[in-house]
Amino acid sequence: MAIDKLILLIMALPLLGAFVNGTAGKYLPKKIVGTLATLVMFAAFGLALMVFNRLHDTQIIHLFQVLNLDSITLNARLQVDSLSIWMTLVVTGVGALIHLFSMGYMSHDKGYYKFFTYLNLFIFAMLILVLGSNYFMLFFGWEGVGICSYLLIGFHYSDLEKGMLNSIAARKAFIMNRIGDLGLLVALFLILNQFGTLEYNELADRILVDKLIPSDWMMLGITLMLFIGATGKSAQIPLFTWLPDAMAGPTPVSALIHAATMVTAGIFLVVRSNYLFELAPTTQDIMLYVGLATSLVAAFIAMRQNDIKKVLAYSTVSQLGLLFVALGMGAYTAAIFHVTTHAFFKALLFLGSGSVIHAMSDEQDIRKMGGLKKFIPITHLTFLIGTLAIAGFPLLSGFYSKDEILAHAVMHNGVIYAVLMFSVALTAIYMFRMYFLVFHGEFRGSAEAKHHLHESPLNMTLPLIVLAILSVFGGLLNLPGLFFEKGTHWLSHFLEHNTRGLELIHSVHLETSQAMLLMGSAVVMTICILIASFVVYVKRGSLAKADSELTGWELASNKKLYFDEVYNKLFVQPIEWIGKMSHQVIEVAVLNKSISVFTTAIGKTGDLVRKWQTGYVSNYLLWMVLGIVGLVVYYLLKF
Amino acid sequence: MELYLIPLVFALVAAISPKNMVKYIGLAGAVATLIATVLKAMAFQTGSTVLVYDPELVSSFGLTFKMGYDGMGLFMVLLTNVIVPIILLSNLNRKVANERGFNAMVLLMQFALVGVFTALDGILFYVFWELTLVPIFLIALWYGATDSKKSLIKFFIYTFVGSLAMLLSLMALGTQAADFSHESLVAVQLTAKSACWIMGGFFLAFAIKIPLFPFHTWQPATYTNAPMAGTMLLSGLMLKMALFGMIRWMIPLAPEALGEMQFLVITLGLIGIVYAAIIAIKQNDIKRIFAFASISHVGLIAAGIMLFNTDALSAAFVQLLNHSLVAVGLFLAAGILEDRFGSRDITQMGGVAKVAPRFAFWFAVIAFASVSVPFTSGFIGEFLLLKGLYNYNWVVGLIAATTLVFGAVYTFRAYQVSMNGAATTHPFKDLSWNETLAFFLIAMMIVIFGVYPQAIINFVGPSLENLKGLIQASNNIVQ
Repeated sequence: MAIDKLILLIMALPLLGAFVNGTAGKYLPKKIVGTLATLVMFAAFGLALMVFNRLHDTQIIHLFQVLNLDSITLNARLQVDSLSIWMTLVVTGVGALIHLFSMGYMSHDKGYYKFFTYLNLFIFAMLILVLGSNYFMLFFGWEGVGICSYLLIGFHYSDLEKGMLNSIAARKAFIMNRIGDLGLLVALFLILNQFGTLEYNELADRILVDKLIPSDWMMLGITLMLFIGATGKSAQIPLFTWLPDAMAGPTPVSALIHAATMVTAGIFLVVRSNYLFELAPTTQDIMLYVGLATSLVAAFIAMRQNDIKKVLAYSTVSQLGLLFVALGMGAYTAAIFHVTTHAFFKALLFLGSGSVIHAMSDEQDIRKMGGLKKFIPITHLTFLIGTLAIAGFPLLSGFYSKDEILAHAVMHNGVIYAVLMFSVALTAIYMFRMYFLVFHGEFRGSAEAKHHLHESPLNMTLPLIVLAILSVFGGLLNLPGLFFEKGTHWLSHFLEHNTRGLELIHSVHLETSQAMLLMGSAVVMTICILIASFVVYVKRGSLAKADSELTGWELASNKKLYFDEVYNKLFVQPIEWIGKMSHQVIEVAVLNKSISVFTTAIGKTGDLVRKWQTGYVSNYLLWMVLGIVGLVVYYLLKF
Repeated sequence: MELYLIPLVFALVAAISPKNMVKYIGLAGAVATLIATVLKAMAFQTGSTVLVYDPELVSSFGLTFKMGYDGMGLFMVLLTNVIVPIILLSNLNRKVANERGFNAMVLLMQFALVGVFTALDGILFYVFWELTLVPIFLIALWYGATDSKKSLIKFFIYTFVGSLAMLLSLMALGTQAADFSHESLVAVQLTAKSACWIMGGFFLAFAIKIPLFPFHTWQPATYTNAPMAGTMLLSGLMLKMALFGMIRWMIPLAPEALGEMQFLVITLGLIGIVYAAIIAIKQNDIKRIFAFASISHVGLIAAGIMLFNTDALSAAFVQLLNHSLVAVGLFLAAGILEDRFGSRDITQMGGVAKVAPRFAFWFAVIAFASVSVPFTSGFIGEFLLLKGLYNYNWVVGLIAATTLVFGAVYTFRAYQVSMNGAATTHPFKDLSWNETLAFFLIAMMIVIFGVYPQAIINFVGPSLENLKGLIQASNNIVQ
């Protein structure tokens, strides 16, 4: 099959799954529903691999014309190049594993068929996002994944206690994303006005070939607006507060959407538009500092969170911040490399936490766990690998991808490198804290919970194992040039080879001695933190404090730096107040009152005029005479 | 001709037919009209103008009796004749005090609306425009909330005053034209000042009907008090008369004033978008929330129309269709909730999704369409309108685009508070077949035109160009 057919099939498969499960899923047994949804994902991944093997240059697949007006043509069109096929592989590959996991995880849920419908639909929207050949398709998919995210965060909307809270979390996510979308929309308008097209290729031609470069201000505007879009979807300051709340969704959703795929859409957007950002150094700087701040703030908050999923959520925000730092430095391929490894180990960690929560009968508070390693050995081992990978333990995937970003930071600016190292250190600290609190020490939950502890079934542990293997060896994708002469930086070369703009970015690598020093210090730091954490949490048996005992920085961290409270006071309440006041004052008191006066006046006039119609001829005669007299007087006066 | 005769005849039949048959006769009439319209649409050549009635007869005061349609008119007729059957369909399982009167009035409304959209003579336009007021007034009066008289009177006086202003404008223009036919009226050259007066008269009538801020105060009360079908007719079709009137009559008749009025109307539309949305956020009456939502949405359409360029007008037509479908869908949902709960207060609802999953699904689809997500017709319409406004003035575009955010806030609040949460203890019957079918039809059209809006643009586009050509030829101004 030719590539275009394969791509269409890849897109059609999840849509088919969603359609079948959405319409008939209610009547089908759970086994069939889950198997179908998972099978289409694996099939899509297999096909994506085939495309990946055969792809030599960029392919455009025209589907149909959505809109054709004088000033604007919007096409439903797909573009297959290195970047998009790589993202497709990540999305379908990790997606397939998470589907498999969900079959076990959601097996007791009444909305089983609905869950898989949404999940497949999400994959479809995500594929539109990454495979589209223009910003319009991207926006289409962008909003599409937003809807699926909304549906899945609020999946348990009728839960007895938390139903409404889940709904509110979903709404918050959607609204904050919409604020970012506003920026993206404006960026689209600007690009359209400036270049007359939204197609990536045409845009790249205008800029890279024809050198039709607009003013600096325009480039700043376009890229800044694109970046605002990215801050919404990829949870950066100031729009990051929805992501931790999004943990209200079932855990596989957190793994798939809120860690591995959807939240990286912002990174994808920037990499896709790399040639625009290269012309706007100011935006790059803004991106860098926003990313840095986000990375630090989120890591700080994660230090004293006690909900296993919240820790992972803030860790995701922090890692995304790290990615934006990379993008701000122009390290696009390094960012995609880290997106990939992050997808592996963060999906692993989330699914692992899902397995823990499953074992703990839906308990998420790490203060009530402890000593779980002997009860759920496979989960424990894979979770450990995930933790080590994200903490940057030597030779695991996170080590390489993080190191590449750190290397860029060294070349960029020493201070940024130092701050970044601090954020990386915090990551290691809170991850090890969580790991030790969950898996080591004594079990702190109730006896009944202990009785229920059990390892998850194979369809849940298998994805964990596969992801653990990927987390270990993912670094091979883009080895630094230290150890071997050949085969290094494979992913970078692959992406540069066939993605517009990336081939022009001159990637500089550190000298061997410098790189060794850098890696060495990272290794030493990670191992020191590991040992320290081991001493604190295992040897001394320190435990997480109760909320009431927290003071100082611990309280600030636990309270999430009061972001939600501040936003509430600053935006939500004023707008609600204006809404209320507008209704009470302008609507009811001013407008309605004045209209009432007017309508009453008309009524009164009617009454008045009616009284003239007395029915007596004499009265009418009187009026007539008066009229004649009036006319005569008028004409007399006039002449 | 059958476009007028079928609804009129069926209205008469419905008024005298046996009680248990009336509903089906009414629905049959509406469907028959729809079929007739579809046949017309299939035979229609885009860009042409079909004269339905042109007696070559001019009365002493210039009335020409010209009736006919071009792409835009036919599109609106199609819209009307699609929406009316859906309204009747969704009412099948509801009891109204007087079935005969109700069905006759809805069909009479359909007749009047078709008249409005196909009138090619100023006077006829006015006559049909006023004629629509009779059935809607009676529907709201006979079947609406018992305490609704006051708000109804307000509505009536309000729209009547607006219509009078339009009549004055029409008369003033007519004195300078050969007769009252559309083309003669367009051909009149005006000074900028008199054009402003003439456009102002039309604008008052349309602004009240749409309604635009600050002429909207009749709307929330009337929408909430009217019975479900009345609200659907008002929001789904009647306000479209005014938006269509802006495109067909107001601007072409006095294009000289466009430059002067543009800023004013766009500003009012803009205020409406934000103002109504912010109010909707804090309301608890579900019909009132959707009423304010409607003000917000149509403000955007009206502002877009004032740009009067091809993109914005095409988008306006997409959005006209979208708003009709969404408004009818939302008020159907609101009507179902009110009917089953006996209250419109969303804080007293909640937990419906659990007991009525089918309703929850379709309501969610409509809610998503209302916030213009991809795959719904609102997506492209809103995208193009916002783009037009952005190009007009980026601040204007940015303010209008806040509808993206606020729309999500009030729509999802209304949905979640009423539907989500622990299962309700209140008995709640899931959708009946006719309600499901109504939702399905609405959703189907929303999705079809969401994926392929070009169908609408192809249909109305050539007529839009003709209209613009006509204006240019007769006024020597370039828009």
